[in-house]
Amino acid sequence: MKRRYAYFPGCSAKGTCRELDTSTNAVAALFDVELQELENPGCTGAREFRAISEQLHLTANARILALAERVASALVVVCDTCLLNLIEVNQRLREDAAARERVNRALKEEGLQYHGKVEVKHFLWVLTEDLGEAALRARIVRPLRGLRVAPFYGCHIQRPASVLQEHSVRDVPALDWLCTVLGAEVVDYPGATRCCGFHVVRTDEKIALRLSGSHLGQAKGNGAQCVVTPCPLCHTVLDAYQPKMASTHAASGDLPILHVSQLAGLAMGLDADALGIPRHVVACEDVLTHVAGARLASSDRP
Amino acid sequence: MHLRVYRFDPSVDREPRYESYEVPYQPRMRIMDALDYVHEVLAVDIGYRWLCGSKKCGSCAVNVNGLPKLACWEPVQERMTIEPLSNLPVIRDLVTSRAPYEAALAKISPTLVRRTEYAGFPEPLKSTDVAPTAHLRECIQCLACQSACPVLRTGDTDFAGPALLVALSELAQDPRDGAERAALASDVANVFKCISCYACEPVCPAEIPIVREAIEPLKRMAYRVGSTPGARRAHAFLDTVKQRGYANAAAVAARSGDFGLGALGVALKMRRRGKLKFSDALGGRATPGLEGLRRTYETSEKEDK
Repeated sequence: MKRRYAYFPGCSAKGTCRELDTSTNAVAALFDVELQELENPGCTGAREFRAISEQLHLTANARILALAERVASALVVVCDTCLLNLIEVNQRLREDAAARERVNRALKEEGLQYHGKVEVKHFLWVLTEDLGEAALRARIVRPLRGLRVAPFYGCHIQRPASVLQEHSVRDVPALDWLCTVLGAEVVDYPGATRCCGFHVVRTDEKIALRLSGSHLGQAKGNGAQCVVTPCPLCHTVLDAYQPKMASTHAASGDLPILHVSQLAGLAMGLDADALGIPRHVVACEDVLTHVAGARLASSDRP
Repeated sequence: MHLRVYRFDPSVDREPRYESYEVPYQPRMRIMDALDYVHEVLAVDIGYRWLCGSKKCGSCAVNVNGLPKLACWEPVQERMTIEPLSNLPVIRDLVTSRAPYEAALAKISPTLVRRTEYAGFPEPLKSTDVAPTAHLRECIQCLACQSACPVLRTGDTDFAGPALLVALSELAQDPRDGAERAALASDVANVFKCISCYACEPVCPAEIPIVREAIEPLKRMAYRVGSTPGARRAHAFLDTVKQRGYANAAAVAARSGDFGLGALGVALKMRRRGKLKFSDALGGRATPGLEGLRRTYETSEKEDK
C-alpha cells in the first residue's frame, strides 16, 4: 500500500544535517512511502520566533500546516523542535477559533487557509506506528545484532506533556522499541531523556557542553557504541561539538551519533554513503565495521 | 517500604551519608507520613520541613528517587531514596536554605510597582487583565522547578531559574505594574539562558505551563530590549529566514555578530564535512519567490506590537 505524506524537513535537514534528509528519503523509498516536500515552507521558528512574537510563531507554523493540508492528511517532520512547534500550534488552532481566524487573515494574502485537518508526526512514528513491526522486520537484511545503542530522545519529542503524547509500542518508548526491532541492544542511561542544550549552544556554549558531555559520558560508561537521535539539533551538539567536550567534559570524543533514519537504513542494507554517514564530525567506522559483519539469521524474520 | 534518607549536618559532618529505614505501608500514605514515622516512631532526629501539610505553603519539597516532589502531596513508593532539593545549600538533612532564592527575588523588585496611585478596593480590573497570569498566581514557591532545572545544575550562577521567572513574569504581565521588567528579565534574570527543555514543568505541583506562560512572555520583552546575545540571535534568525526562506547556521551566526574564536574550531570541523559553508556568512541575495512569506511574517509580527 502506497502511503503519502506531506514532508517538512526543516532548516537543519536542508543545511548542516543534509544527511538526515537524504537518509530519510532513502528509507522511505524502501517502504513505498511517498514524502512530498513542501515548496518554500519557511521555518517553524525553532525557539526564536516564539521569543519574538506569539502571532509570528502561530502564523509561521500555520503557514506550513496550510501548505501541508493541500497535499496530504499527515505532515511528517524529522526534527524534534519543528515537531513541538507544529503540534502545539495545530492544537491551538483547532481549539481556538479566534486564533485560527487571525492567522487565516494573515495567510489569505498568499491565498492560503488552514482548516485544522492535518496530523503532524515524526518520521520515527511513521516507522514505529504507521509501518509497524512486520513491515520493518521484512526489510531488515543486516540486523544490528550485538550493537549497543544509546537512544537520545531530545526534549521536544517528549515535553511538555500537555502538548506531546507518549509514543510507545507495547509500553516500550518508540526509539527504544525501534532499536530493539533493528536488532540492537538498548543502552540504559539517565541522559536519554534529558536536554542537549542546543538552544543556547551559540550563546552559552558552556551550558550545552556540560549537559551533553555528561550524557555522552554516561552513555559511553554504560557500554554504548553509538547514540541514535530523532533530532538534528541534538545531533549537531552531540556530534559537531563532541570533540570540544572531549577536552573539557565527561565525553570521550569518539562516540558516533546517528540519525534514526541512518540506523534504520543500515539495518535495511543501505550503504553508508547513501545514508550520508561520512558527513558526521565523529567518525562512524567502528559502527560500520560492526554492521558489515552482521548476517541475517532465520530468527530475524517475522 | 524501604527508605534511604540523606543525612548531613554541615556543622558536624565532613560529608553526607545515607541511612536506611523500614516503614510499614498504610493505605493513602504520603511521603511526609513516611518521614513522620521515621521521626516519631523510630525516633530518628532527621531534619525535614513542613508547615501546612496541604499543598499550600511550598516548604516540604524533597527529591524522591531523583525527582522533586511535595512530601505532603505525593504518595509513597515502595523504595524511596529521599534527598534534599538540588541547587540549594543544605541546612541539615532534607532541609535546604531558601536564602539564595530570596536574595535573587529581592533583585527583581518582587512587588507591584504601581504606575498610578492605588484607586482603592475593589480595583477596576478586567478579567482580560488577569487572564495571562492566572496560572502563574498558583505558584507556591516550593522550588521543585529550581531543583529540576539543568541549567542551574551546571552551576550557572547568572540564570535566575524557573521559579524566579514565574514570579517576575507575574508582575511583568500585570497591567498595573510600571517597573522596568524587560530589563530585569534580560539583564538580571538572564531569561535567554533558559534552554527550553521543559524539565521544570512535569515537577510543578501547581501544573503551571512555565515555559509558555512565564518564560516566553519574558523573552519577548527581553527581545525588545535586545541587549543580550540571545535576543540578538533571535533577531538574526528571523532576518535570515525572511531573506533565504530557512535558517542557515553560518548566516545566523554572522548576523548575530557571533564570531568567537571558540566557535571557529567547531565551524572548521563542520566545514570539512560539508556541513557549513563560510560563504553563507557573507550575506548574499534574497531568495526569489519568498515575497509572500516575507509579507505574511511581517504582518504577523506587527500584530503583536
